[in-house]
Amino acid sequence: MEKAVIQAQLPPELMARALSFVEEGWASNLDELLVESLRRFLESHSSRMTESFVMSDVQWGLTGND
Amino acid sequence: MIESVPPLVICDAGPVIHLDELGCIDLLSSFSRVLIPVAVWQEVQRHRPKALALPCLERISATKPEPPELEAVAVALSLHTGEWEAIRVALENPASVLLTDDTAARLAAGNLGIRVHGTIGVLVRSVRQGLRTKIAILDILRSIPISSSLHLKRSLLDAVIKQVEEHQ
Repeated sequence: MEKAVIQAQLPPELMARALSFVEEGWASNLDELLVESLRRFLESHSSRMTESFVMSDVQWGLTGND
Repeated sequence: MIESVPPLVICDAGPVIHLDELGCIDLLSSFSRVLIPVAVWQEVQRHRPKALALPCLERISATKPEPPELEAVAVALSLHTGEWEAIRVALENPASVLLTDDTAARLAAGNLGIRVHGTIGVLVRSVRQGLRTKIAILDILRSIPISSSLHLKRSLLDAVIKQVEEHQ
């Protein structure tokens, strides 16, 4: 599978934690850790869920009782 | 249940920062109490310290032991410290509303039975409460992409604006 190459700036503390995580053996390498982290973030912040939350906000704002 | 009094709200950092960016931090004064967990307070202090000048904001810490179900969902969804603490404080205040703009935090809180809303809800509610005119809020909604760090898909923002415009 063809993979994209990115360049990113990370806060030093976050980078240190990531490297330590890899060194401890919890991930094969930094690439794997970043891919897995990104995948999990995208799964828990799905566009469909966000849209549903925002539209329920609008309903509360327009017609709520408080 | 019919609500007749403004709810107590627990804030995550997002709504405090976004409302201040949009010149609407005063809208938080319309709730009966506004609790800011310590970790959230520190986050806002780093990114938008002037937002914390609103007198009604109360800094608070969770006092009860953490429920195991919260730890499970917070870890699973990789919640930040502030989001985690805000949900914990909300669980200690059963009639409260959690204000957050983070989808994962909303998901976690909803699964734990907490009522959740965000910046958009607070803005739109201000029209119903007579705190802003509909025209003023529509202008603020349109300014979100340039005036705030609240990220919303353009088509979603357009749908929000349309609903507010069409509401009688």
